[in-house]
Amino acid sequence: MDLSMLLTEILVASLGLIVLITGLVLPARNNYIASGIAFWGTLLILLYSIFSFSQQGAIFNGVYNVDLFGNFFKLLFLTAAVLVMLMSWKYSNRFHKKSEFYALIIFATLGMMLMSAAGELITLYVGLELMTISFYILVAYLLTDKLSGEAGLKYLILGSLSSAILLFGISFVYALSGTITFESLPASLTNQPALIAGLVLIIAGFAFKISVVPFHMWTPDIYQGAPTPITAYLSVASKAAGFAALARFFMTAVDPVDMVFDWTLLLAVLAAITILAGNLIALTQKDVKRLLAYSSIAQAGYILVGLVAANTYGLKGVLFYSMVYVFANVGAFAVAAAVENDTGKTGIEAFSGLSKRAPLLAAVMTICMLSLAGIPPMAGFAGKFYLFAGAIQSGYLWLAIIGLVMSMVSVYYYLGVAKAMYIGENETADGLSTGGALKVALWICVVLTIVMGVYPGPLSELAGFAIQAIM
Amino acid sequence: MGDYPALGLFFLLTVAFPIGAMAAAWLFRPKPKADPLHEKYTTYECGVDTVGKTWIRFKVNYFLYALVFLVFDVETIFLYPWAVKFQALGLFAFIEMIIFIAILLVGLWYAWKEGALEWH
Repeated sequence: MDLSMLLTEILVASLGLIVLITGLVLPARNNYIASGIAFWGTLLILLYSIFSFSQQGAIFNGVYNVDLFGNFFKLLFLTAAVLVMLMSWKYSNRFHKKSEFYALIIFATLGMMLMSAAGELITLYVGLELMTISFYILVAYLLTDKLSGEAGLKYLILGSLSSAILLFGISFVYALSGTITFESLPASLTNQPALIAGLVLIIAGFAFKISVVPFHMWTPDIYQGAPTPITAYLSVASKAAGFAALARFFMTAVDPVDMVFDWTLLLAVLAAITILAGNLIALTQKDVKRLLAYSSIAQAGYILVGLVAANTYGLKGVLFYSMVYVFANVGAFAVAAAVENDTGKTGIEAFSGLSKRAPLLAAVMTICMLSLAGIPPMAGFAGKFYLFAGAIQSGYLWLAIIGLVMSMVSVYYYLGVAKAMYIGENETADGLSTGGALKVALWICVVLTIVMGVYPGPLSELAGFAIQAIM
Repeated sequence: MGDYPALGLFFLLTVAFPIGAMAAAWLFRPKPKADPLHEKYTTYECGVDTVGKTWIRFKVNYFLYALVFLVFDVETIFLYPWAVKFQALGLFAFIEMIIFIAILLVGLWYAWKEGALEWH
């Protein structure tokens, strides 16, 4: 057994513990040391994971897979974690204790990494719980804020419910097939109704995590109440982890070609209503965080389209779009965090006249939202192209058409925010101080969103290599 | 497919039974005319009448104790099979177990430092 394959995970776990201990040993006024260790440590681990990207092999008898698919997602989670930490640099001043906040972000990242690499349902579940329990605490981290507490409680109750549903489904699958490793499942799957019920329950459990309609009700309230950096992290990384686990499970364990259970049709219907509901409800939102929550529901629908296609183009699209979505969504939420830091509000009126107060923030918000809407030359366009091309290839033309029409609808509410920022008036014209760290995050997001849109080649090639592990 | 009719029957029974029980109770119970609520709100078959209001706050400390206890309770479950097979597992498993316990001890240290073990 080669433990060096697990080095990335071991490093992340150690970093989390070190940050926690730093917070215990040092007095509260030296909190910045813990956040510094967390940030630079995560950055170094990110560099290491780029360096060891080509590492492959299964350990613990296939319970844990180290392959390009998992490595791609590990890269995504670590990138998102670094961006979120940059974003919380100034925001975290309102927390009573910073060290725990950063330690919990790191533990959540570890959980996501386990999810994307797990080759067995129980390991997958443990990873999922590590991620979700860390998020329960992080969502309620603004102790004096009522909305944050309410969001934390709601997330705890609904998250536990969805975990229970997932476990219930796993128990069905285990009872009727006698195995839970992805490798040995295809041979033992039969056409029994109870087994199909188990698979449907597993889909429902994941659908909660990636907020697919009709399991999306928690999303707006929790995204609005949580601290903004955590909302950003929740919307990009926890969703990507859900997609990674779902894609690996259904592609390797439940082959759609065998027709034991045609899950693509079920997911196609879910994707269609998610895209429709997410975009249509977003049209009426007055709060930017809520608007981004509904937009993120719609985005989950688009990514699901790639999984429905279940072919090279579609899966490549899932990976490509997940990565692109990280930069676009974190960029948008970083601007929201900066505005919230300054005004204390996240309503759309807080953003009016932003182009005069902080031209950089307004420009980043506009570019990121155009990327989310899928307007070329932003990266979102290339991602949606892969997703919808994959759907058309595998015969889901109607789904691609719904996606395209609803993308056009989404331009309206994205540009509504841009309109407020550029045409709207604001009584205060003073500049808005963002802080250096957040500015770095903004620049990374905006530059990568444009670069990957103009020149999507390298990332798409990387995604192409990564999906070979699960095809 | 053989077992599914039986399963379906059980499902129907589980739905029908509580409905039937509640319907029968509604049908046969006496229906008092005057002030039916007062008697209903008193303590029923489980101890003496309460003194004062029951809607008071309970201390959360107990819950914290329980959590810390649970962590070390579960740790013991892992320690038993390890101890039984200690000779066969060797040095590697010993180091692994030390790391496992060290991680839990960090948790205990944290709980202690945050005051979870003090009864205020």
